[in-house]
Amino acid sequence: MKFFAFTVLALLLLSVESVLVKALELEVTRIDVSVALVVYLALRSSTLEGAFSSFSIGYLLDVFTGRPTGLYPFLAVLVFLLVRGAGQLVDGRSRGGFALFVAAATLGHGLLALFFIWLTSPATAGRMQSLTGLPLQVLLTAGVGVLLLPLLKRIESGERPEPGLLK
Amino acid sequence: MFSFLQRYKEPLVVGALLLVPLITFLSSGHRGRDPNFVDRAVLAVSSPVQGVLTWAIHGLGEAVAGYLALHGAHEEATACRNELAEAHAELNALKEAQAENARLKAMLGYSDGTNEPEILARVVGINPTPHVQSVRINRGEADGVRAGMPVVTREGVVGQVMRSVGGSSDVMLVTDPASRIGGMSQRSRVRATVTGSGDGKQLSLDFVRREDDVKEGDQVVTAGTDGIFPRGLLVGTVKEVQRPMVGMFLGGRVEPVVDIHKVEEVFVVPLIPDVVAPVAREGVK
Repeated sequence: MKFFAFTVLALLLLSVESVLVKALELEVTRIDVSVALVVYLALRSSTLEGAFSSFSIGYLLDVFTGRPTGLYPFLAVLVFLLVRGAGQLVDGRSRGGFALFVAAATLGHGLLALFFIWLTSPATAGRMQSLTGLPLQVLLTAGVGVLLLPLLKRIESGERPEPGLLK
Repeated sequence: MFSFLQRYKEPLVVGALLLVPLITFLSSGHRGRDPNFVDRAVLAVSSPVQGVLTWAIHGLGEAVAGYLALHGAHEEATACRNELAEAHAELNALKEAQAENARLKAMLGYSDGTNEPEILARVVGINPTPHVQSVRINRGEADGVRAGMPVVTREGVVGQVMRSVGGSSDVMLVTDPASRIGGMSQRSRVRATVTGSGDGKQLSLDFVRREDDVKEGDQVVTAGTDGIFPRGLLVGTVKEVQRPMVGMFLGGRVEPVVDIHKVEEVFVVPLIPDVVAPVAREGVK
């Protein structure tokens, strides 16, 4: 159920983001809402459920690029695993912790994307220009991630029966 | 075997979710795949949402702009009437030139290659990743839009359709690093390849010989040699020319004539497969 809820939410958020980014006339900076969702899944869901949901979120992002290559589903699952590993060492469940995790994941996601594009595409020099928008992207995504946190918690709590409900 | 799969189900599934897209990416590279039924379903759901949001934001902006524009509307209307009169005179002169051009073309047996009308489309969204610079428009296969078609505005070139499904299409912008346009200097007719720089603001001028006549301020137009863009569309203005001490080619920076991030409506030009054919055909004959 969480898989469907997060996939639908990702679809909606990506649609909104694509319109907002245009309305705000951002050039190479984006708000990486998909990363915020993947980080939340990594910190609060089971491995299988989170990996499937992350894959579907990455798949949606891949479709939204207009030139789907498989890069973003791979990166979403990779970021999920990395954040999950880091989550064992540092607690990221608080608001501040979640923001830091989202910021670090956005930075990692952006750099990894550039690295893998560089591996396969000869026209890499231009793509490095997108790094100029990365600092703002990290800040914006962390901010949006914190704003989304109550909604994500509500989705999660909506799926779990309240303790003592069946008494 | 079954117990092995049961035991290692989790790492195997996660490993597959990680490796399958990675192998797909490494094998297909930056080319991308054709849209499958899942992609089409995703686009069929997301495009109307983007359309409605764009309409709402645009409507709100128009309302605010309309209110603000009421101040000083009378003076502006007078100025517009004067400009319109001048434009009419200019249009008349252009019509005369067009008629003469058509006569001369007919005499030379020149064909424009298409009589299809351009398809008007609205930009409804921008790609949410910065690594591929593309926008989504609200016209797709159902409206006759096909991958490869050039996309322009009245000012000049915007990009090229890279994917078209039912009711929407994705357009690769001229600023994308994968974008290549056959261009030429309008003044000196020197040919060049205009490449996207990836920063969303400028283009680079490639494969121009060091001794060729290109200067800052030159207008760059499409040369029609790439088989995609019709000849003579404005691409941008040369902002900087670098002539290195060594090497065959000079380097240059071009500012796109269309502000890619503010464009709201575009025209999709039906494919002109023989846009460069008149010269080629003459050669064959």
